[in-house]
Formats: sequence, C-alpha cells, structure tokens
Amino acid sequence: MKTLLKNGRILDPSQGLDIVGDLLIEDNQIAGYGAALAVSEPDEVYDLTGMWVAPGLVDMHTNLRQPGFEHRETIATGTQAAVAGGYTLVCCLPTTNPPLDSPSLVDYILDAAASPSAGGAFVAPVGALTVGMKGEQISDLSALKRAGIVAASDVGAPTQSARIMARAMDYCTQLDLPILAQCEDLTLSEAGAMNDGSVSAMLGLPGIPRSAEEVMVMRNCLLSLHTGCQLHVTGVSTWGAVEMIRQAKYLGAPVTCDVAPHHFALTEESVGEFDTRFKTNPPLRTQVDLDIVLQALHDGTIDCIAAHHAPYTGHEVEVPFGEAPFGVVGLESAVGATLTYLTHRDVLSPLETVRKLSTAPARVLRLEGGSLKRGETPVAQVTVIDPNHHWRFDTQFTFSRGKNSPWQGVDFKGKVVLTFCGSEIYRDAAFPPDRYSEGPVPA
Amino acid sequence: MTRHLLGIRSLDADSIGELLRLGGEFKRRVLDGRPFPALPTKTVGMLFFEDSTRTRVAFEQAAKYIGLNIVNFTTRGSSMSKGESLKDTILTLRYERLNALVMRHRQSGAPRLAARFFGGPVLNAGDGAHEHPAQALGDALTIIERKGRLEGLVVAIVGDVQHSRVARSNAWLLSKMGAEVRFVGPKTLLPSHMALLPGRVHYDLASGLDNADVVMCLRLQKERMFDGLVSSVAEYARLYQVTQQNLEWAAPDCLVMHPGPLNRGVELDDEAADGDRSLITNQIENGIFVRMAAFYWVFGHGWHDLERFDREEARA
Repeated sequence: MKTLLKNGRILDPSQGLDIVGDLLIEDNQIAGYGAALAVSEPDEVYDLTGMWVAPGLVDMHTNLRQPGFEHRETIATGTQAAVAGGYTLVCCLPTTNPPLDSPSLVDYILDAAASPSAGGAFVAPVGALTVGMKGEQISDLSALKRAGIVAASDVGAPTQSARIMARAMDYCTQLDLPILAQCEDLTLSEAGAMNDGSVSAMLGLPGIPRSAEEVMVMRNCLLSLHTGCQLHVTGVSTWGAVEMIRQAKYLGAPVTCDVAPHHFALTEESVGEFDTRFKTNPPLRTQVDLDIVLQALHDGTIDCIAAHHAPYTGHEVEVPFGEAPFGVVGLESAVGATLTYLTHRDVLSPLETVRKLSTAPARVLRLEGGSLKRGETPVAQVTVIDPNHHWRFDTQFTFSRGKNSPWQGVDFKGKVVLTFCGSEIYRDAAFPPDRYSEGPVPA
Repeated sequence: MTRHLLGIRSLDADSIGELLRLGGEFKRRVLDGRPFPALPTKTVGMLFFEDSTRTRVAFEQAAKYIGLNIVNFTTRGSSMSKGESLKDTILTLRYERLNALVMRHRQSGAPRLAARFFGGPVLNAGDGAHEHPAQALGDALTIIERKGRLEGLVVAIVGDVQHSRVARSNAWLLSKMGAEVRFVGPKTLLPSHMALLPGRVHYDLASGLDNADVVMCLRLQKERMFDGLVSSVAEYARLYQVTQQNLEWAAPDCLVMHPGPLNRGVELDDEAADGDRSLITNQIENGIFVRMAAFYWVFGHGWHDLERFDREEARA
C-alpha cells in the first residue's frame, strides 16, 4: 500500500526540514520524501499544494477521563478528538478515578487505547506522582515506568509539601523520569474562581493571584536545579512564571514548559458576565501576561504548546461560576488557535509552529513521535494542515464528549485536514475531495 | 426582552432615575393612602438560598403593597437540598407558572444563570460579593430625600469592600448618577485591583472621610479575622470605626448609613448610629418602596404608566 502526499510543504523540525515536495507512506511507514519523488504506481495520491505536511502532533496535557469519569470523555472519544485535532500521540494525565498510581491501571489505559474502537492515536500514560494523588506518599514509580508511563505528574493535585516534591525529584532523577508539574500554591489560590484582577473585583468573584502560580514555579525550578530532576511545568500563564522559567534555564536547570492556547490568546476579560466556558486553571490572565507569553513563545523560553484538554459535560458547567469546574476542551481547537493567534501573526514561523506542537513535546518526554524520519516512530505519523483554511469552531461538530470550549463560534484560519497514524487515517470534511485520487496518477 | 434586576452595573442612568422616581412616588402614595397601580394576578417566588430575614421581609412587604401573590421557598428540606441543580430548580419554578423570581444566592452571578432559564423577570436579592441592587436603590432614595440629589455628592464607603455586594451596587449607582465614590478600608479588605470599579481608594479613614457628604459603613463579618484579613475586631474598630468624633472630618451635614445588620461598637459607635445624621431606619423603610418600583418596572411598566393610571383614575 503506497500513499503519496504530493506537493505539500514538508515541515520537520527534528531535522530542520522545510521544503516543498512529496512524501511517501508505504505499508504504514514513511518510505521517503523529496522535492519530486519518483513513485511508481501509488495506490492513493493526495494533492497537498499549499498545505503543510508535518509529523503527527503530540500533546502533553490531555485528560482522557477513563476510568472514572466516562460521562465526560472516554479513551475512545478522546483519541477520536485527538486525531481530528491532528494529534497522533497524547499523554493522558493521572486525573482518573482511581488515579493512575498502579501498573494495572496503566495496562488498562494502553489496552483501551489499542482497541479497534479507539480513535487510533497513541496514548502515553502519565503516572500519579503520589499514591492516590494525595501528595503524601510517592507512587511505585519504577513499576509504573516498567508498565509504560512516560512521566510522573501531580496535575489536578499540585504537590504542596516541598519536602515530598524534593524527594520525588530525587526518585525521578534516578528513574530518569520527567515530572510534569502543575505549579500552584493552594494556600494562595484556595477558593479562587478566576484571575485576581480588576475583572474579579468587578464581578465579586474570589481571585486566584498570580503569585499562587509563580511561587510554586520558582520552588519547583529550584528543586529541579538542585536535584537535577527533569521538570516540565505544564500550563504557564503569568509573566512572572515565564521569567522564573527563563531564569531557571539560564541557571542550567533541566526545566521546560508548555502553554495552553487560551493562555496565549485570551484574557480575564473573556469571562464577561460569568461565562463558565472561560473558567480555567490557571485562570485567564491579563494583556501584560499575554504579551510576555507571546514573546517567550517566540524566543523559545516556552518550549511547547499543549492542548490542556479537560472535558466536562453540559450540566457540570451550567452552574454558577464559582461552582463550575476548571478546564476547557482543547484537542480539536489547538491547531486552529495556534495558527490564528501565533503563526499568522508572525509570532512563530511554520517550522517553529510544528516544533511546539509536535517535535518539542516528543523530545521533552522522549516519545517516539515528532519526526518524519523513517524509523523514529513505530508507524508513520503525519498530520496535514491547511494553514489558510477559514473555519468557525463549533462544538456541534467535534468528537469530544466535552463541549466546554472557549472557542465556540470563534473564526480560525488554519485547520487539520488529514491525520495519518499507521493504518488509521482521519480525513476531515474540509479536505477537498478533488485533491484525492486512487490508483496511478494520470500522466 | 424580559426585564430583570440583576445588578446596577448593567443599568443606565435613565433606568436608575426612573426606578428612583417610581420608588419615591410609591412611598408618597402609600404614606398618603392614595391609589397606585397594582400588579394583580401575578405570582412572585421568593427563592433564598442564603437566609436573610430582613431582605425577604422587605421584598414580601413590597410585593404585598403592589398586589403580587407570594410563594415562599425554603431551600432546606427541599429538592435543592437533595442535590437538584440550580438550572432544574429554576425550570421547575418556571413551569409552576411563577411570573417573577426574587433570588438570593451565595454565588456571584447565580441570578444571571437563573434568568437564562426562568423566562420571566428575575430580581437579584444579593449574589455573593457581586450585587445587591435593591439595597442600593433604597440607599439612593434615602440620600435623595435628605440631599435632594446624588450628583456632585462625595460618598465614602467604609469597610469590607472586597466581600461586599452592597458596596459594589452602591458604587455603581452613585457613580452613574454623578456622585464621587471613595472606598475606605484596610488593604486586606479592598479588592487588589480597582481599575474597573468606580471609586478611589483611601486606606486611611481621615482622608476617606475628608469633606464627605455621606458615609456608608459596611458590615464586618467576624469570620474575616480567621482569614488573616483583620487582626482583631478591636483593631478594626480603632482604625475604621465611624464615630461622632471622627465625623468632624466629614462635611458638616454629613449623613451616616449602614445596610445592617449593624455590629454596634465595631463599624459605628452608638452616638453615630443613633444620632441625627443616621439614616439607618430610613434605609430600611425606603427599601420597601424601591422594591415596589422594581416589581413594577421589571413587569414592563414605567413612569408613563403611572401617569396613565392617574388619568384613568381622574376620569373614573
């Protein structure tokens, strides 16, 4: 089986590749690429003139909700949403019930992700840093690593004790396991519902101060510096957090970070009149934060863009703002938001865009992904993006069970139109049918 | 478009002015025993997720004067305490054919959510630290009765602004009507970012009261001390209590107000609370008349309906 992707702009940050040409997938492996590839008798041909051909996207921050919260998302619906959003590999966080703190749960996730009813994207489980996510006793991380976790995390229950975090870092250094940390001091953020700022003051909502995030980013960066543990700060939102990470990198700490699309495009003002679709953690901040975040994306201080996919059902978010859960869906809007707010505004070049969505997250977590090099990935993982496709995001047409999106009704420029993950092929309705043909190309 | 009274922030000066005129007129007619238009055949539900006897009584009195039927709900022992969502509670009340809803809730913005599902008018009787519009209307009517105007007055709002819906609604109303608002209190009880709130901050009582025409004290919740926001009641009282003595800093005819319930000896001393300048009892009474106006107004009526009523009365 030969699939020829013709005339696309091939972008592979893993080898600094940015050429217009053809890419051949043969028997679910990348067989080659080049400016004009001579291919005899391809079985199918996609004409990708004007489109990007990128390594399959990799997400570091997805809540798949199964087991425990299947009304919000399942591994099947979540991975369908992933491929529709261009992701061929998603890291699922331990925010399940029970939390992913035992090898049997890791087996369960991997089995469910490999089942034919799943969406076809690879799932890389992230283990709970502490037993039951209680922040007290470190999980059996060596057994979890053997079972297949790619990182340990405290997302959903940020580790408050500096002592526990320091020991977890020692432990993870020995195991060569990165820590994916949610940096939040709960004594400062407690009871808060949105950014502590002029909008929360106006609405009479309790605020989450920026210091709640920054204090913990600083602590975790220092612990990483002193233990040598690889730390990935997931979801930076304030200029102070960005500056702390910049400083930690300067000092040589093995620290990386990611940002969610809503944190490079939206501010606290989006909350408007108590709109729960804009209730996130960390909360949406201010224009000053946005400006520094954009600069840090541009200069590389922010390494990755993560979807921060946190699905909830309708009845869970149709409640007073203070009672609504934190989080929004993200897998199917991340590419649209990234191209619209970053690439088309010259914050990121096309190659850097792909790096932040694919190659960098794969590198940080040492995953088999983020590259078009033959043999770098178990099967061919390729995402095709039409950078100039105008569309309006509408949760009516998304695969995720969660419809809590801040992007509902927003116009995007740039869309995922094809996702190849081995034998699994997602073809979006936005891909023009006349650009596809079967059998040999007519001469 | 259904009219609601969700807050003062979303009202324009014309609407506020009309509500205040209606409130004043209803008061005169009630006190004089003169006729005024009623709203019979309508039923209003009193939905208090937070206990508040005084606010509930004020709304009930107003509803009775204006001819509304009242249905009371207790949230304890009802479906709401059995885990029913706010949305489902509101939908139930809608199809039990209630025409309007008076709602108190501990969460800011909850009445706005209720308004989305209810269909008829929703009147906010206090939501979290967001708004308490009827209180602000009653307070404004009280000031107007003494001062004849709001425009140009200097009003000092003293105390726990951060947690106060009364402070926010009053600030919006006063600033929209041309008064100058000051927020006075310790840094821990003032919002950390004031850019979108209409008033200047004074941490010090003397500068806050300087030449003020009206002083509005806010209630200090005792639990604030446990949050580390105030070190002790005594210290708060020493720094921010409005007394007969420190009212010397204010304008000579300065008025003193408090939304209640009053902690005597904390926010106000006895002399200031009971003195000639104190309007605390007037605030309570006027609260009823502005609520009559609010009911009349949310059902789509205005000043011109009152005039038409008078013409028809004269003809009859």
